[in-house]
Amino acid sequence: MREITEEIRQEIKDMIFDYYAEECEVEKDEITMDTNLQEDLGSDSLMFVELIEMTADKYDLDIKLQSIGKYMLKSPMDTMSDVVDMFCKIYQYGNDIVNQ
Amino acid sequence: MYNRAFLFNGIGSKPEKLLVKLPPELMDKYEFYLETAFGRLGLNMDLEKNKAYDGRVAEWIISLICDRVVFEHYLDKGIIPDIGAGYSSGIVSISSCFGSVPHEFAHDIIMMNRATMRCLEKNNEKLDMGIVIGFSYSDIEEMFKDKFSTDEIVIGSGNSKFHVMVSGRADAVEKALLLCQNEGAIKAFSFGTGVAYHHPIMKKYSQEYVDFCGSIEYSAPVYPILSIFDREVMTKGSQVMRENQLNVYTPIRWDLAISKLEELGVTEFFDVSANGAVSKFSRVSRKCKIYTLEDV
Repeated sequence: MREITEEIRQEIKDMIFDYYAEECEVEKDEITMDTNLQEDLGSDSLMFVELIEMTADKYDLDIKLQSIGKYMLKSPMDTMSDVVDMFCKIYQYGNDIVNQ
Repeated sequence: MYNRAFLFNGIGSKPEKLLVKLPPELMDKYEFYLETAFGRLGLNMDLEKNKAYDGRVAEWIISLICDRVVFEHYLDKGIIPDIGAGYSSGIVSISSCFGSVPHEFAHDIIMMNRATMRCLEKNNEKLDMGIVIGFSYSDIEEMFKDKFSTDEIVIGSGNSKFHVMVSGRADAVEKALLLCQNEGAIKAFSFGTGVAYHHPIMKKYSQEYVDFCGSIEYSAPVYPILSIFDREVMTKGSQVMRENQLNVYTPIRWDLAISKLEELGVTEFFDVSANGAVSKFSRVSRKCKIYTLEDV
């Protein structure tokens, strides 16, 4: 397991907010932790995959999409809060996220 | 020899998702092409007023018209392709944009899908297609090999390392998508369209379509086209005709077609779909880039 600091957590949150603001063509300050990905932003799964690829590159993670898919069966991803939480776990646990 | 490839998506995106991405300066041209095409084909501009299969093909023709507008916009900007490839019905779109057939004939090909759908209905065939996000072609191949026969379901297209289209009998597609979901797909969903494009079962229901595709002489394309079936570079009209005929009932390897284009030297890909649909499910290596209408 990789340690996650408050700075990294904030960095991940900023990265995710910036990404969705650009992809969904909304102002970043319109997005909150309660923003619903589909209903409010109209985001889709391909955007999500791209975000995973970007995160894996940025933090040099070897993560399988299937591990994330299995995690999502237990913890559906609806709001930005869910996404930030999931990406922090990806950073910490990598493929072992499936057991969290 | 080849540096720049144009990628055509053809159908699949809803009209509203395409049109919202067309810049205002292209809308006049779009509307002119639309009115001309719909007038000739007897389709209603109010999509909801088109009956049954007419409604569906009307949406598909809008996709082709958007492709044409974007294609011409790229040319106007001095962006000229060295080669191109069409994903699924993108083959029809590229055939007309690259000058092998008139645009009117491409629209007529799309209209012929009605005959195929009527034939499926008459024979009470329950077919479907689906998308799995999170698995590669080989992942799905391994997962399906002991669970489904190819009569039931095939991989209609390997799109990228994380994006696969499946096609076949509706009950098998449903089971397969559930299996993928349980095995960790990011998303697995069916189209619910009642057809199974790129599954061999479609051959016996698409004879009219196939015959129609072969009913005129095709010109040599202005720019070469890469076959998504055998990955040969097509420079003759007869090859483009064959590509259109195979399209309905033959599985695709889009991922391998993209790799082949890279092998041929392509580093710049231009997505001809108005909403960048191809760039979303395709992946190229780091030395390459897929440009979309927004980038241009």
